Amino acid sequence: MKGKRIRKATPYLYLVPALLLAFLFCYRPFFLTILDSLYNVSLNGVRLKFVGLSNYRRLFASESFHDSWNNTLRFTAIFAPVNLVITFSLALLCNTNTKASRLSHTLIILPMAVAMSSAVLILKTIFDPNVGVLNVILNKDIQWFSTARDAMSMLVVVGLWLDIGFDFLLFSASLRNIPKDLEEEASLEGVSIWERLRYLEIPLSAPILVFVLSNNIKDAMLMVSPVMILTEGGPYRSTQTLVYQMYLEGFKGGNIALGSAIATIVFLATFLFLLILLAFQKRRVYFQ
Amino acid sequence: MSKTIRSILSLLLALIIIFPILYCFSASLFARTDFSTSPARFLPTTVTFSNYARAFKASNLARFLVNSLICATVGTFLRMSISLFSAYSLTMFHYKGRYALFIIIIATMLLPGDALLIQNYVTIQRLGLTDTYLGLISTSLLAPTSIFILRQFFLTVSKEYREAAYLEGCSDTRFMVTLLIPMSQSLIVALTVQSFIQIFNDYLWPLLVTNSEMMRTVQVGITMLGFSESFDYGPQFAAMATLMCPMLILFIVFRKKIYEGVSTRFSGR
Repeated sequence: MKGKRIRKATPYLYLVPALLLAFLFCYRPFFLTILDSLYNVSLNGVRLKFVGLSNYRRLFASESFHDSWNNTLRFTAIFAPVNLVITFSLALLCNTNTKASRLSHTLIILPMAVAMSSAVLILKTIFDPNVGVLNVILNKDIQWFSTARDAMSMLVVVGLWLDIGFDFLLFSASLRNIPKDLEEEASLEGVSIWERLRYLEIPLSAPILVFVLSNNIKDAMLMVSPVMILTEGGPYRSTQTLVYQMYLEGFKGGNIALGSAIATIVFLATFLFLLILLAFQKRRVYFQ
Repeated sequence: MSKTIRSILSLLLALIIIFPILYCFSASLFARTDFSTSPARFLPTTVTFSNYARAFKASNLARFLVNSLICATVGTFLRMSISLFSAYSLTMFHYKGRYALFIIIIATMLLPGDALLIQNYVTIQRLGLTDTYLGLISTSLLAPTSIFILRQFFLTVSKEYREAAYLEGCSDTRFMVTLLIPMSQSLIVALTVQSFIQIFNDYLWPLLVTNSEMMRTVQVGITMLGFSESFDYGPQFAAMATLMCPMLILFIVFRKKIYEGVSTRFSGR
């Protein structure tokens, strides 16, 4: 009898660690974030007084939050499409079976081997107007770190470099999976590059294109670590993103309530985006 | 477009893309004065390896590296064990609420970790785990994707194996170690490597939960080596070059496997 009872409990027991972690580091903090955003919270995280939506009101009235919101949207709107076009074109270009293209394939995935913090530090030095070589190569004198527009462009380039290896890998894998006879037929019939793109390569890679695009939008909305190392939000908050402001309010400013309010807005934005994506995916049926 | 032009163009672009990596190796050999020349240099005037020695001697880089290795090893071991047992429970047993529990675990993927930072930090602080290895790895132990992928694979394994093993008096753990893990070897290797790299490369969480310099991980420590205040970037580049070397070699050696892995994972769609 006893043995049988233990046997019945075993599967639950095996799940305990995962469930405990999910509760402790995902669900509990998620609800506490929403709760804290409605309170005044002390420096060490004790909820003092219920204040309703006044944290949000303060946030929406502040210029800093408007900057973060606009910067995050702008970054996402530039980064996601640019990344898709550049990386997919690169994968198309390298989609031949020559020695040179095999070598390019190996080289282009190498950025994946560099950890984020190293990658950003290296690029930071390359962009540096005094020490770096980029301005020398471009033969220009661009102040990457002190003009708002250039700082944003720099952030996009850094984002591209961080993602290019992985996205390229996915795209070239999907292009390789296009049946060879279709490709042969296309070249026999002498279709133009554009027709080939429109009727062959893009539709057959559609699932991966959507996957990469949605992943990049999600990551761009949550952009934070590269900002911390590269610009610390500057100049004049021009690269301050939502999550970076959350970090500033919560950790540097000691204002957990305000940080939680930003986090809640980030949650809402992410959920909204996922819902839109789901609706979009349901409506469209990709190739079989 | 002719094949030659295409080849040349693709190689040219590839070189531009890996330029930062080349620059890192080149800059790690710079003498101190090479960083302050005008115009800025790409190649060192004279090759010097002293940056490598200085990086390790004049900072706690070695200690940072050990911290990162401990976290990545222990964290990966725990993460894989938790994932294996979870996936095992979710496939090899029939019980009430199995699917609901599965959804509870998988749904954590919807909560972006970075937005949970503040509360997770408060939790770790309350538990007194700041500046400890346990605090460092705590938030990376649950990997819903690994559980999901392992579950998908275990579902394809015939239940008869387990029933036979059970009748023979073979314990769950032994069944897993002697049969299930060898059967899913390539999958487990891939997930383990992925987990190791992910924990090793993590930046934001280790930055937040460590205050003492001795507990810093290498990805955080590398940004605070303290040489850059005096335009002395050499040791930092030497440190980064040392770190990326093993990874670059792995990527070059296993490039075919990496491409195959991605192709098979996405071809089923």
